[in-house]
Amino acid sequence: MIDVIKPGLETSVQDYPGRIGFWAQGFPPSGPMDSWSFRLANLLVGNEVGAAGLECQFVGPSLRFREATVIAVCGADMKPTLDSAPVPLWESIPVAAGQTLALGYAGAGAGARAYIAIAGGIASPPWLGSRATFHKAGIGGIEGHALKAGQAIPVGTGTGTPGRKVRPEARPAFATARRWTIEAVAGPNDDWINEAGHARFLGSDWKLSSRSDRTGFRLEGPQWTFTDKATNKAPENGSEPSNIIDHGYPLGAINLAGQTPIILVNDGPSMGGFINPYTVPSAAFWKLGQAQPAEILRFKSVSVAEAQALRRAIDALCAPNSLV
Amino acid sequence: MIYPQPRFLPGGDRFVLIEFGNEMNLELNFLAQGLASAIAAERTKGVVETAPCFASLLVHYDPDLVSYDDLQRETARLIRSLGPSDDLVLESRLFYLPTMYLDPWTRECVADYCSKIASKESDPELLSRANGLADTAELVRVHSGSEYWVASLGFWPGLPFMMALDPRSRLIAPKYNPPRTWTPQGTIGLGGASTSIYPVNTPGGYQIFARTPVPIWDAEKCFPLFRNSIVLFRPGDRVKFVPIGREEFDAIAARVEERSYVYNMVGYQKFSVRDYKAWIGTLAPSDRF
Repeated sequence: MIDVIKPGLETSVQDYPGRIGFWAQGFPPSGPMDSWSFRLANLLVGNEVGAAGLECQFVGPSLRFREATVIAVCGADMKPTLDSAPVPLWESIPVAAGQTLALGYAGAGAGARAYIAIAGGIASPPWLGSRATFHKAGIGGIEGHALKAGQAIPVGTGTGTPGRKVRPEARPAFATARRWTIEAVAGPNDDWINEAGHARFLGSDWKLSSRSDRTGFRLEGPQWTFTDKATNKAPENGSEPSNIIDHGYPLGAINLAGQTPIILVNDGPSMGGFINPYTVPSAAFWKLGQAQPAEILRFKSVSVAEAQALRRAIDALCAPNSLV
Repeated sequence: MIYPQPRFLPGGDRFVLIEFGNEMNLELNFLAQGLASAIAAERTKGVVETAPCFASLLVHYDPDLVSYDDLQRETARLIRSLGPSDDLVLESRLFYLPTMYLDPWTRECVADYCSKIASKESDPELLSRANGLADTAELVRVHSGSEYWVASLGFWPGLPFMMALDPRSRLIAPKYNPPRTWTPQGTIGLGGASTSIYPVNTPGGYQIFARTPVPIWDAEKCFPLFRNSIVLFRPGDRVKFVPIGREEFDAIAARVEERSYVYNMVGYQKFSVRDYKAWIGTLAPSDRF
């Protein structure tokens, strides 16, 4: 068991790939935003890549371990300490019974989410096949929500080896200048945006709004302009240019609600009545997960095949040969 | 319109949206659900899951198992093999839902909206007026006269988007602007041409006029119907609202509370699109109940 001393800003149990197979009933997958760092953390402590661990957002928790174990912290640098002594990221660490792991605030430009893996994985009860927390509906994780002080987190049995490290070239490289290049695949509704609108989307800075969460990342930037399809359509589509007959949303859809683009991420809605001119592919999700509010996103158009190749490249790095 | 050929629209590296047309038409939803059933029956390689909506089917696939081009070819083949929608026979369970129309809880919710957010005409009266009905009693008669088709679920887990199967019960309604900040659990509402049930207390934009005491969302799995899922409905289900009074509402709510409520679900029927179309061909759509 692990006791939650301080919960952090929003620390939740997640597993990978999350709650898959319930999109038709409106359940999103949930799971870690940066599944690259998450999977590496699990590998470091000897777990399957998908085992349940903790996602810490912006400010991490303080946790006391009742039993000795092996842990790893990957992702954003929240200056983790073990009984006040600094511990390295991207490395498996021995923890003695009674020790306290404390994560702090990820400073400007240091990433947004840290991941804590524990040998044996978190053993909270699974919901619909997954332990991932889906806050909005209060299911999964520990009592359905982010951690609260005083809760106890059950842990499975595992055998981790301390001192293992992730090779530097196998780690995600965080943006240093607080600017991120995010891949985007045109579609499903790219033909609702005119040429000027596409040029503006791909050629402008988009600021990540502080009004973003695990359901959607809001972007601030220039106006969108539309083709005839958006303005001259059957009334059941709705009156705004970005309205369409309710349809399914791909995970990663850049959803245009009026003039505000919202990237629909791990806890996002499965359907709705707005167009999605672009979709962020799974290989770029880790960057969304590590971008801090007010940082700048620039979008780069890639094909479906290119997006799939990027995904394979990251999957290949989330493997034991990335460790030394 | 219904497209002569469905459109395949990519959604990143692991989704494709198959669009059958661009209007609200039950026929398009039948096609989407027919394709979803065919994909499930054939266990099409690489498909993780599908989600039908009014006029389209979203397919989630694993690009390590199937390429976009192969998936498109395979689903196009399935669509051709389905033939015209008339040939579709879909699994369809029927749920009888006891429902109190013109109930005090939705009335209170609308009054709260009027006092705190924006003044508006009462929802049942607005619905009656917008659809040329004599009064709210006719609204209840018309709305409860049809079975409703669960076209899809979304917005909130388990929330059904339903269309009246009987054209004599079709109603339309504008949506709230701005939306409500809360809606009582079990509220029944109508927006556009779609009827919905709010599984839990959530914000909302549909005109509201009725409430069911029966849960359609059961996170604690208290009722046997929820054994394999915590939401009641799946696409292709039908719902019949059965009007009840306050006394019966309270009696059912008490049975729900003590977990002894028995869901009234009919599980042996299938839905034949051909038979359905033949039947609506015999009706005068201008008739009202």
